[in-house]
Amino acid sequence: MFFFRIVMMSLRGLQTNLMRSLLAMLGVIIGVSAVVSAMSILSGAQKEIAERFESMGADQMIIATGSGRRQARHVSFDALKPEDADALIASCPLIIAAAPEFQNIAQVKHLQKNKQTQLLATTEAYSSMNDYQPAEGRFITREDDRAERKYCVLGYEIAGDLFGNLSAVGKRVKIDGQGFTVIGVMEKKGFLGFRQVDSQVIIPLSTGLKKLFGVKFVTMITAQAKDQELLDAAILQAKRSLRAEHRIRAGTPDDFQVFTREQAKEQVADFTQIFEIVLYSIAGISLVVGAIGIMNIMLVSVTERTREIGVRIAVGARRRDILTQFLLEAMVISCIGGIVGVVVGAAFADLLEQWTRILHTFTPPSAVLLALFMAAGVGIVSGIYPAIRAYNLDPVEALRYE
Amino acid sequence: MTVPKADDPTGLPVSAPNIVASPAGRSMIRVRGMTRVYRMGDATVHALSGVDLDIEAGEYVSITGQSGSGKSTFMHLLGCLDRPTAGTYELNGQLVTRMTDAEQARIRNKNIGFVFQTFNLINRTKAIDNVAIPLIYARERRTRDRAMKALEIVGLKHRWNHKPSEISGGERQRVAIARAIVNEPSIVLADEPTGNLDSRTGEQILDIFDRLNAAGTTIILVTHEMSVAARARRLIHMADGRIDADAPVTDALRTELLQSAVLGAAHFEGHVLTSSAAGIKNKKN
Ligand SMILES: Nc1ncnc2c1ncn2[C@@H]1O[C@H](COP(=O)(O)OP(=O)(O)OP(=O)(O)O)[C@@H](O)[C@H]1O
Ligand SMILES: [Mg+2]
Repeated sequence: MFFFRIVMMSLRGLQTNLMRSLLAMLGVIIGVSAVVSAMSILSGAQKEIAERFESMGADQMIIATGSGRRQARHVSFDALKPEDADALIASCPLIIAAAPEFQNIAQVKHLQKNKQTQLLATTEAYSSMNDYQPAEGRFITREDDRAERKYCVLGYEIAGDLFGNLSAVGKRVKIDGQGFTVIGVMEKKGFLGFRQVDSQVIIPLSTGLKKLFGVKFVTMITAQAKDQELLDAAILQAKRSLRAEHRIRAGTPDDFQVFTREQAKEQVADFTQIFEIVLYSIAGISLVVGAIGIMNIMLVSVTERTREIGVRIAVGARRRDILTQFLLEAMVISCIGGIVGVVVGAAFADLLEQWTRILHTFTPPSAVLLALFMAAGVGIVSGIYPAIRAYNLDPVEALRYE
Repeated sequence: MTVPKADDPTGLPVSAPNIVASPAGRSMIRVRGMTRVYRMGDATVHALSGVDLDIEAGEYVSITGQSGSGKSTFMHLLGCLDRPTAGTYELNGQLVTRMTDAEQARIRNKNIGFVFQTFNLINRTKAIDNVAIPLIYARERRTRDRAMKALEIVGLKHRWNHKPSEISGGERQRVAIARAIVNEPSIVLADEPTGNLDSRTGEQILDIFDRLNAAGTTIILVTHEMSVAARARRLIHMADGRIDADAPVTDALRTELLQSAVLGAAHFEGHVLTSSAAGIKNKKN
């Protein structure tokens, strides 16, 4: 009850010095809102990344060019060949499917409609491995690939963009100026891994490599193990097979890297940790600035209210009560700043989500708690010195103060 | 406990104070050898040098003296706002000079009410909140009714919702008195309470003191004005940190005081106490 009264008293003080109090809070507001919005963005991203990883099979491995080792001297980006996928199936008993991929941006045209979109050159296995089926027509086959046919399968969204409600199957489109026949439209899927596949156009791998891109390598190969339990063994087989295929001598590092869903998750976790450290450093700095701001205002307040302090002591306040009052006052300023900061931060994250339409944000309750906790801490730290100054005032001199 | 007073022009009820009977027939206030020395670098200022004084419960005492004679210093010591360099101070038989800060705070809160020349109200809060401050430090739960009652005693109930900046100087001082008496203290210490007010407004303040005193509150009032001093029933004169005159305010003295009030305080300082009041000079217990 006593503390409640004291808090009410300080609230009234803030009200009369509204502008000044707001300025004092500014540092805390900025610090807290930075933390809350960054945490919202971060946890939104983490949540989303986790979901994306779920759509990637736990029994799959991704083989990409490059060496896992950073100090590798010479890594060619063209090390992975389309034939490697066949070799994996042929020489690794634990690998039951492999889909080589080459990805690029392409211009897709139908009549007047023109779209820039993701183009994926791959093989038959892609559909079954990802459990991603055509809703209409058919997917590309081994035969389409072997014959280098100019066939394409449209993602759900791009089909709608180009053809509206009309059936796309059998129609002709131009991809980077070359004519293709639409043989199928895929089901609506959203994300596969980190790729938004609904706006993607799929063509046979050899057609893409030879007729569109003019290259002899692939960007990655997704391979599926017989069983999730056997994934590690399958990776060993794949590595041995690819080293043999690429004629890599013993003692020379791989010219490719293999990673699984779990490893990718760890990498992302490492990255987010770095992000978090940076974030908390920024938050820490702005909170220190906020604390200095509040301390400054509190010192001014103690000086301005010297007489008031004298009066309070004269009517029976103990020195301890004076200390408590100023400490609580600093905490009230800081916590109000904290609450405002939480609201501003969450709103900012929300706005960001609406503006960008890519970022998904999520304000976790822990962020709110942490922010308020920090604000209270800032209040104590910034209030203690001014409160001690008030505590040490001599009442007689305080009453005489002009 | 309210004591209606027949001859009270406002007819307002006045609360009886927290009178604690002094044990063993001792005075309520008993000061011996009270000394206060200020040290400023090498120089020392003897603001108070060995004051002896007894004041009984229910007295109405005024203290006069030239500027710098130590009146305020003495009031601060009586009000437990300061500690003497030497000497003892007993209040209701308790040795105040031995008390801890917290104990003294309790005495200030419960037994003493301060009224200042400059009112010293907190400007950002309403009259009623100003009056309630001592109750808050007394950890009272319900403060509103008591603060209202104190405002009623000083005749300002209708101004409870006003901030100090919205009322006149006299009204401000009445709010300050309400704050001083809200905890029903046995002593009210007033340091030049009418110093910032015109004489008519000052009269209203003094009327309130009269009523409080009639209801049993001990009043100790510092003033430069002889007309104000004449309202008390005992007059103390200080010079150079000492009490050099202490006399009951008889009708004769009152007349002289009122005359000197017309002629000016300087006359009183030089004449009254040295000639006609010489007989009461240096009256000791
Ligand atoms: N904090 C202090 N430091 C040094 N000297 C002080 C201090 N306070 C008071 N004094 C000195 O003590 C003496 C008594 O001061 P005090 O305020 O008690 O006088 P007073 O009688 O109340 O005067 P006035 O009528 O002007 O209010 C003065 O000489 C004053 O200068
Ligand atoms: Mg004085």
